[in-house]
Amino acid sequence: MVDKILAEYGAVVLDRNAKRLVVQVDDKQLRPLAEKLFESGFYYANGVGVDERGLGHDFAMYHVFASEKDKLYLVVKVSTSNLKLPSITPVIPGSNWAEREAMDMLGLEFEGHPEPERLILPDDWPKGVYPLRKEFDYNERPEFVERKPESTPQRTDVVQLPLGPYHPALHEPEYFEIHVDGEVITDAKYRGFHIHRGMEKLAEGRLTLNQVPFLAERICGICGFTHSIAYCQAVADAAGLDWPERAKYIGVILLEIERLHSHLLWVGVVFHLLGFDSGFMHMWRIREKVMDIAEALTGNRKTYGLVLIGGMRRDIDESRKNWVLKTLTELREETERVSKDIFGMKELINRIKGIGVLPKEDARALGVLGPVARASGIDTDVRRDHPYLAYDKLDFKVPVYPEGDVLARLLVRYDEIIESFRLLEQALSEMPQGDVMIEDYTIPSGRVGLGATEAPRGEDVHFVITGVESKVYRWHPRAPTYNNLPSVPIMLRGNNIADAPIIIASIDPCFSCTDHVAIVRKGKVIWKGPLGEGVKQVGR
Amino acid sequence: MTWVALAVNILFVLFYAPLMDGIERQVRARLQCRKGPPITQTWWDILKLLRRPPVAPEKAVRPIFNLAPLVAFAALLTAFILVPTLLPHSITFWGDLILVIYLMNSATLALVFGGFASQNPYAHIGADREVNIFLVEELALAFVIVTLAIVNGSLTIEKLFPVQLKLSVAIALIAFVVLVYIASARIPFDIPEAEPEIVEGALIEYSGSQLAFAKYAIYLKRLLLFSLLLNFVLPRNGVVRPLLFVIALPILSIIYASIEAYCGRYRVTEAIRLLKRISIVTMISWVIAIAGW
Repeated sequence: MVDKILAEYGAVVLDRNAKRLVVQVDDKQLRPLAEKLFESGFYYANGVGVDERGLGHDFAMYHVFASEKDKLYLVVKVSTSNLKLPSITPVIPGSNWAEREAMDMLGLEFEGHPEPERLILPDDWPKGVYPLRKEFDYNERPEFVERKPESTPQRTDVVQLPLGPYHPALHEPEYFEIHVDGEVITDAKYRGFHIHRGMEKLAEGRLTLNQVPFLAERICGICGFTHSIAYCQAVADAAGLDWPERAKYIGVILLEIERLHSHLLWVGVVFHLLGFDSGFMHMWRIREKVMDIAEALTGNRKTYGLVLIGGMRRDIDESRKNWVLKTLTELREETERVSKDIFGMKELINRIKGIGVLPKEDARALGVLGPVARASGIDTDVRRDHPYLAYDKLDFKVPVYPEGDVLARLLVRYDEIIESFRLLEQALSEMPQGDVMIEDYTIPSGRVGLGATEAPRGEDVHFVITGVESKVYRWHPRAPTYNNLPSVPIMLRGNNIADAPIIIASIDPCFSCTDHVAIVRKGKVIWKGPLGEGVKQVGR
Repeated sequence: MTWVALAVNILFVLFYAPLMDGIERQVRARLQCRKGPPITQTWWDILKLLRRPPVAPEKAVRPIFNLAPLVAFAALLTAFILVPTLLPHSITFWGDLILVIYLMNSATLALVFGGFASQNPYAHIGADREVNIFLVEELALAFVIVTLAIVNGSLTIEKLFPVQLKLSVAIALIAFVVLVYIASARIPFDIPEAEPEIVEGALIEYSGSQLAFAKYAIYLKRLLLFSLLLNFVLPRNGVVRPLLFVIALPILSIIYASIEAYCGRYRVTEAIRLLKRISIVTMISWVIAIAGW
């Protein structure tokens, strides 16, 4: 099926294995091919611009498509010598941010892009300086130019309410500009990327292949482990490595622990946003035990520092296995009991029912992932569709709800909590003995690798091109919030201002995971919203 | 003698109002499996805030913004001169019940005006919600008072309590118990202050001693509502009254705080719908009172 489409548009296969396929197409064929792929069930997973001059080529854009039906990741490469490429955003809206990111970071131009504006670089970054080009040194600091205020026209018929960059309901800096008419939201705009850490450049500039996992784990304070696994899977994919069985099971166990504590944390935060602090406290009390389990197994509550390209650095502490299994059973019963009480609170459930609806078509077009997609009726889960580690040997269900509202997102995550308990019990009791690491391997240079994991918030995709001397030539992590955030304005429209925080929180946003690309001078304010200008009440 | 008793009453409420918040915080903490802060914590918070200088936003309408917390605080203290609390003494005259309601409302409105004067969009939304709820709440409260006035043939607090037990009074009393809960802005009715949504609403720009007075006023309002409620049931005179009063206050705190711990916040529209229903109930009690039951 895929091969037929690819042959039709003259794509040349560069590399293939069972899980992913790398092809190159002519830039004229790109847009029709993308349209055809989207129609046949592919969604836009990741987009990476690469400065390939160091590998003896020109600039290139890698579009990564994924399909649950074909169980395949399709990497479509287009090269350009004059920095101009056709934009595929008109046919797949999900590629909007990826193309703008490549514009900012590499200076590629996408012809036909609907909004070719800066996305990631701050306003005071000078024009014509592209941080991800190879001639730009990782510790270079360009001169700042004067920031030009955004020229968005002031609406006179509605009240503009700035939500962020600092707001107690948003635990990380980001900016939503919400237009309200009375208490009803008429429009919403998002401006993010306030916390760029320049991780890609750092990895390319001064880390070796085996140091990057530690950096990757620090992408996120909640779901960091899944990033380090995704990175190592990507390198293992490029080099054709296969981990020992025991290492795969350890990976599953820790990933599920991470999902458990992440989901419990989220459910607690949702209750807090609804003003129900007792639910918040009880959820976090249960979560605390999950952290204890992580500590018992790895020695750390968070950021286990366990993964290398060849597998796990340390074995987990087997002597605690019985205690862990017993605690897990208790926790599962307690979660079920507390949740039963909470789901019985009619007022609470009514408040999140029917708000923040994301229709399935919009969700698919934007490439929405994880629990948000599953709550909009999209049956997707990397663990089942593109099995990694030991997930193909374990039994679990993928919950899907068609309603698309905040309640559905809560129910999806609740079901996943229960499935995670089951997965943990299976993995712990079926874990085989043996080595946890392969040490004897070589990494060829210039190879493309792709690693995908199902993070608590959705699919993580890490794209790697290996370099010489144990370096990574290009590393591009894509966190699920990157794909989920563009759907928030759709969810917000037509809802009540009182529901805005809960709707924003319902995608479980992780802003620092998303913001990993630009370099920002410490302490420098890069974006200032109209906070403090007060309400524009003209015409009200 | 009356003046001494009034001074005792005022000192008692000034001391107890923040302590009552401390007790309620402790109750909620226990229900959430937390240790919680000591019950004196609210007092320490207020003392700390009183020492800090207030900061006003640049665009605020200074006179209104600066005065609002003090007006609210003063209005509530004045109300306590008219309502018997620990000791059954108070200044009485015809219609003092109406003045008490007026003073209580002017405290609420002072904070609303302070919110508007701060020119902060979140304060605007908070003040807007406060007014919305306040208007419907008033309607219900008015019917409760009218019911009591008809049954007792007076608008003087002294002649009102203890009330005669009649069907209309019983209905009005039940409605009043609910209204006390709503008027003290407890979850699910803390909509004007909803921290995660609009960041303390009207209070968002207040700081230092001004914030201390605004918070103090809110605690005093809760205590005033409890005192009114207790006057319905406690004996008018005698030594047992102060004793019962001191015992009953924490019990009310425990009951109200426990309900609060097991609720999520309403939207404004939901709260108003509920308040309209309560208004209808109080209206029925008024009709029954006219009929003479």
